Amino acid sequence: MNPRHVLLTFGKELREALRDRRTLAIMILLPLVVYPLLAMLAAQVATSREKQREERPSTVAVNGSGPACDALVGQIRKNPALFALAAHGSAGDVESGRLDALVEPDKDDAARLRVVYDASRDESRVAEERLRELLASALPEGCAPVFAMERHSLAPKARLGGYVLSKALPLFVVLMVLLGAFYPAIDVTAGERERGTLETVLCSPIRRFDLMLGKVLAVAALAALTGVVNLGSMAITLLQVLRLAAQNTLLDVPWGNALQSSLVIFPAALLFAATFVALGATARTFKEAQTLLLPVYFLTIAPAMAGAVGEYRLAGLAAWVPGMNVTLLARDLLVGRATWAGGLATIASTVLLAAAALAAAARIYDSERLVGPPPRRQRERAGLPPATSAGDALVLFALAFLLLYFVFLPIEQHSLVVGLLAAQWLGLFGLVLLFARLSGQRFADTIGLGRPAPAAYLGALLIGCSAWAAVALFCEWLLPVPKHLVEELRKTIVPPDGSRGFAVTLLLMALSPAVCEETLFRGPILRGLRTRAGPARAAVITGILFGLFHLDVYRILPATLLGTLLGFVALESGSVLPSMLAHLCNNAILIALAKTGLDQDMESLSHRTLTLILFASVAGTTAGFVLLRKARRNLKM
Amino acid sequence: MPEPLAVLDSTSKSFGAVHAVVELSLSVAGGEIYGLLGPNGAGKTTALRMLAGLLAPTAGRALLAGRDAKTTEAKRHLGYLSGSTGLFGRLTGREVLDYFGQIHGMARARIRERLRGLAQALALEAVLDRRCEVLSTGERQRVSIARAVLHDPAVLILDEPTSGLDVLASRFLRDFVRGERQRGKAVVFSTHYLAEAELLCDRVGFLHHGRLLSQGTPAEVRGGAGTLEEAFLALADRDKGGA
Repeated sequence: MNPRHVLLTFGKELREALRDRRTLAIMILLPLVVYPLLAMLAAQVATSREKQREERPSTVAVNGSGPACDALVGQIRKNPALFALAAHGSAGDVESGRLDALVEPDKDDAARLRVVYDASRDESRVAEERLRELLASALPEGCAPVFAMERHSLAPKARLGGYVLSKALPLFVVLMVLLGAFYPAIDVTAGERERGTLETVLCSPIRRFDLMLGKVLAVAALAALTGVVNLGSMAITLLQVLRLAAQNTLLDVPWGNALQSSLVIFPAALLFAATFVALGATARTFKEAQTLLLPVYFLTIAPAMAGAVGEYRLAGLAAWVPGMNVTLLARDLLVGRATWAGGLATIASTVLLAAAALAAAARIYDSERLVGPPPRRQRERAGLPPATSAGDALVLFALAFLLLYFVFLPIEQHSLVVGLLAAQWLGLFGLVLLFARLSGQRFADTIGLGRPAPAAYLGALLIGCSAWAAVALFCEWLLPVPKHLVEELRKTIVPPDGSRGFAVTLLLMALSPAVCEETLFRGPILRGLRTRAGPARAAVITGILFGLFHLDVYRILPATLLGTLLGFVALESGSVLPSMLAHLCNNAILIALAKTGLDQDMESLSHRTLTLILFASVAGTTAGFVLLRKARRNLKM
Repeated sequence: MPEPLAVLDSTSKSFGAVHAVVELSLSVAGGEIYGLLGPNGAGKTTALRMLAGLLAPTAGRALLAGRDAKTTEAKRHLGYLSGSTGLFGRLTGREVLDYFGQIHGMARARIRERLRGLAQALALEAVLDRRCEVLSTGERQRVSIARAVLHDPAVLILDEPTSGLDVLASRFLRDFVRGERQRGKAVVFSTHYLAEAELLCDRVGFLHHGRLLSQGTPAEVRGGAGTLEEAFLALADRDKGGA
């Protein structure tokens, strides 16, 4: 590493970014102008509304008679500015808003009065409050109140101030740091690429890691600056608003705590900068980078929000969740309850994650993706037919997911058979057919319908018949499925009323998914991802998408493992047909086990027997892959 | 015979199923201008990017001053200029040049001294302290030239440097390139303006679909044809027929 180059790039990027109007607007305009402006307007509206409420007399009625009621009516009449007395009324009048409150004597004790009001209506709450004060003052002369109420808080003003700030500030600061990193990260990566300045830098004798580190540090500095400016501005603004809203509630700013809590800004800024720069580096245009970064932005907001709203402790897993940990640490620092353990865990996890993101970013900067032409343009230039890209693969997954969630799952709830068939043949197979037609590709090319060697089928058969046991045992060990869910799944596969035969179940839950799911996942999704990633990475990502597609916490892991294995089968054989065969065997065996009840028997097997089953499963799967490799034909992209 | 400073040795580059450059060999010595010619998509930019160390060859070697072009050491001898100018819009010309000078390990005083000379030679006095985004295309290209030669590199790679330039700016650039040849630099120049290449280059190579169809002096490549353009069309036709 050449620190001089890092420093030079850091300075250059900082200077450039500070001259970008978009960055300046986010960093300066938003915190310094927009927040105070909004806060002022909000305070004005609140004050004006409060005044209106004070000036309006409450419409009340007093039902019944007796000394207490008469005394109260007399008092009400003496305060026309506060009350308008209605002749009589009912609880319905209060609910409908015709009356703000109603006073009536207790049935058993005429000396006790009951105030009927609507707590969900501000005017009614005010009327109740006014009546309470009036009742207190309507006691006969010489009678002292039985008791008096008074509010008393143990918290000193500074801690109260810290408590109030901790409810909003940590989340806003994290959001602002995120926002502060967002545009500069895009600008120094995709922006540079779009402006055509990247090539000239890469032709210079600067190591790409140094270049990347300089960029990340510049983005982190800008994000941290945004956080600091926001923290200061919002702390003052929020307390000012509270003072305006409640003149009696004077709160002190715990400046020491606020300063301590601002320290979380720096590791957070480094993490967000490294993550955003790594992502931005993969984009070719500013717009593409925005599309890539936005989901991450929102994904980080969710845990940060959970940290701000939920009453979580900064310990265990919470200290390792990016966004959430810094929000919790800032909160604890503000109220003066931070612990060393929590603080160190947060800092360590954030710095570690930042280092991982930086390493990923440097790797991307070291690849040719930054200067090579996009794959689609290469194919067009070479006059080759269109092919599925990685972007197409992700769009197809998203479409299939949306269709499943919003269209086919509701149908499945009405009719399982119709829903399943529609989801598979329309939502998966039909989707790929449509995609092939719209993209001008042959369907067979889109899904990779090659002709593998016979040995590849044999290998797939072995894998399909053996892998399920290892997958099931591994998942049972890592994340056991609750018994009632297993029972529900069994009932879905084998209806207790015998309404569906074995053959129909095989068709519905083995053959149909084997064809349709493989058509999509090991077809265009795997082939599309393969254009941007190596075979192992493409198979694993396809497996993860396949797992997520099953929309069930307990099925994600087994489906991911199975999907990854099927991905390797398709890649090794150069065709989607063997992966269909393996998928079919896998599902058919699971259905047969459920049908015969053998799966229940397996639960009572000894440790030794299970080990033997696991060994046989791994051996069978390995033998299957050996056969596949022998029959290897490279998947033609 | 002087030692070649820029070498592509049986170099190929593929992007997946696309073969952008196929077994291209060329070598350029100091004091020589080599023109890599061909239509859009012929593989000129890919070839120059391999030579500039931006892309790694799938097969063969790319060398700059005797070193693997991908290495930092090789890049110390390289000046790279493309049609897109590659200047940071929000920095002034002086700031851009200062940044690149320091990346090349030049001392501040040396950069200032070099800048004085270049500002005079390239008529940059009124330009250097303005932000690059407000400069005209010709002014930006002159700042880019200064950036490319600031560290006095032995090899200059110019990827379609005259695209988008007006007549005067193009003439200025050609004169500058001739001057660099006089100073002993090896210049590799890509263009699809064949007349420009004929005016400027000592040797030219015709690239078509990633393959080198012919190379030699403009007169040798022209052969019996009247112009380089006619010679290229005949070669491309023959290549098409052969394919």
